[in-house]
Amino acid sequence: MAGPLSVRVVSPDRIVFEGKAASLVAPAWDGKVGVLPRHAPMLTLVGSGELSIDRPGGGSDSFHVDGGVLKVERDQVTLLTEYADDRPA
Amino acid sequence: MAGERDVKRRIKSVENTRQITRTMELVATSKMKRATDRVHAARPYASGLQDIVRGLYSPGLADRYPILRRPEETKRAAVLLLTANRGLCGAFNSNLIRQARDLIDKLRADGIETELHIAGKKGVAYFRFRGEEMLTQRTDMSDTPTVEAAESLTGPIRDRFERGEVDAVYLVSSEFRSAMSTPPRTRELLPIEGDEGASSVDAYILSPSADGILEKILPAYVRNAVYTALVENAAAEQGARRTAMKNATDNAGDVLNHLTRTYNRARQAQITQEIAEIVGGSAALE
Repeated sequence: MAGPLSVRVVSPDRIVFEGKAASLVAPAWDGKVGVLPRHAPMLTLVGSGELSIDRPGGGSDSFHVDGGVLKVERDQVTLLTEYADDRPA
Repeated sequence: MAGERDVKRRIKSVENTRQITRTMELVATSKMKRATDRVHAARPYASGLQDIVRGLYSPGLADRYPILRRPEETKRAAVLLLTANRGLCGAFNSNLIRQARDLIDKLRADGIETELHIAGKKGVAYFRFRGEEMLTQRTDMSDTPTVEAAESLTGPIRDRFERGEVDAVYLVSSEFRSAMSTPPRTRELLPIEGDEGASSVDAYILSPSADGILEKILPAYVRNAVYTALVENAAAEQGARRTAMKNATDNAGDVLNHLTRTYNRARQAQITQEIAEIVGGSAALE
């Protein structure tokens, strides 16, 4: 089943984003990493940069994130970041 | 009558006090509301981080990371106590201080050198009065704690642990169960408790590596434990203050009832006496 991804972006003091996504591109520690549905389980460090989330119906959200860790498991994507805001990087 | 005017003055004074405590109750209630929201908002990150650390932890890593080291023997411990900057919140501060005091006494009784790190004016004032040396004295923690504030508090203690200058770090703060229940709690901040052999991320693509991820995540994990404690403490303080001020307002009401009754009785007695005097006077004229 290749449904949309369930994405959660969490910073220490709030949930920045929670919802479905067709795909996303996150700034990993060593370069950008793209995640599509049915991605293999993954755990990676996040650097500083732009996180962009493509919504299933088109359109996209983008955030600036800095530091943290990205976890992908069975189409559940969790990005714990130390800092996030809505302003694109 | 000795009473009447004095009682009236006291009634006025108690009314003023009640006005103040009621206002403080309302202020604490609204601050607590926001503080509680922050407690809830901080939970997803804390639990997410905990899952990841638990998943990556394996006993073998302890040898390579100073932050994961598990000293065989605890020679020196650090106690980090979080208290409020302000009083008028019932036994909130004294409960925390007593908890810390008990812990320190217990550690010292076991022959462990114990150093103090205190945040909050009330805790600092108490231990200064006791003549205890404090390695950290912070009175600049706000009601709305930030991650940066938590880092500035945690960083130096974490460094001391990593350098082997302390073998254990305990955190004493309030647990925010509800507005009415905010018991003090002691937690072992360092060494980090890992579930031995619970490594659940074998099937993961790890980038850079379990070690590399832990190296970055562990300091954040420790810092976040202190951050959540600060947030919970702030909410618990407002909860305790609200309860204390509600009790004070209720008590003022009781005192007012009592005083009003005393006042009326004194007034009645005076009227009765005046009538008796008039009647006595007119009877004497006849």
